[in-house]
Amino acid sequence: MSAHQGRSSPPESSRARWTVRVVGITAAVATAATVWLALWVTPPDVTQGDLVRLVYLHPGVAWVALYLAFGLAAGASLLYLWPRTRSLFWDRLAAAAVEVGVVFNVCTLVSGSIWGKPTWGVWWAWDARLTSTAVLLVLFLGYLALRRVPAEPEVRARRSAFLALFAAVDVPIVHFSVLWWRTLHQGATVLNPDLTPTIHGSMAWTLLLGFVALTLVFVWMLLVRYRIGVLEDRLGTGELDMALRQRQAEGAPDDEDEAA
Amino acid sequence: MGYVVAGYVIVLSLLFLYAGQLVWRKRRLTRAVERFELLAAPGDEPGAGPAGSR
Repeated sequence: MSAHQGRSSPPESSRARWTVRVVGITAAVATAATVWLALWVTPPDVTQGDLVRLVYLHPGVAWVALYLAFGLAAGASLLYLWPRTRSLFWDRLAAAAVEVGVVFNVCTLVSGSIWGKPTWGVWWAWDARLTSTAVLLVLFLGYLALRRVPAEPEVRARRSAFLALFAAVDVPIVHFSVLWWRTLHQGATVLNPDLTPTIHGSMAWTLLLGFVALTLVFVWMLLVRYRIGVLEDRLGTGELDMALRQRQAEGAPDDEDEAA
Repeated sequence: MGYVVAGYVIVLSLLFLYAGQLVWRKRRLTRAVERFELLAAPGDEPGAGPAGSR
């Protein structure tokens, strides 16, 4: 498949629009249900009290940012760089995943900071988990900045893919930081080394629903952001074509004049 | 409980604002592409849009 094949895309079908709408409505309902269960139904924790209610939000946004968004961006970048699967589809998908991932990464840092203040007594600490997550945000902001540097689509896609793969190296560092270093941040509640969740009952179900809801929010945002990428490319390519045709039309009489 | 409510309000507001911005960007671009295709259509072959004219 040629890299140029990703340039022109058909208009959005009614089926695609319907899918986006269904995912969006399901995500909104699931998020509302999570908030209701988290704030009004689940019990307070024996040690953290009501602060434990942030567990239904903070790990969910971190899951989306780190594993879904940046994992998808790394996978799509790898598929773009692989000659057999090279297509601007993967580049657009990676760009969409990174942009949405950056928003979720900000949400992770903000919700973590709000949880940290009453728990640790500080808004921020140069802790291994917090610092590596902040580094991840800076790296992927760099990715978005790099994409704004004017270049041919293929050149932009290649350099962005390399940067995404480089930045994604930080994802396992963030994940294992609580095991590799002594940190303020607690260990994983669900994805711990023994894979034995330390949360049960209504709290566990609400946590699971929170993960599902935020995953659906991510999928909806990814679909819409991908479509924006398609439209931007269509507009960019079309404007370039029109400018070239106008230039040719303007240039034709001049050429005749010169020849005369 | 104040920290908890603040956490939910800030994070959900951020997500909601970003979602709204995505919808706005998509609508604006869709309209721009439609306008552009109408402008580009007269000189083109039937069915060829700006991207398809390549």
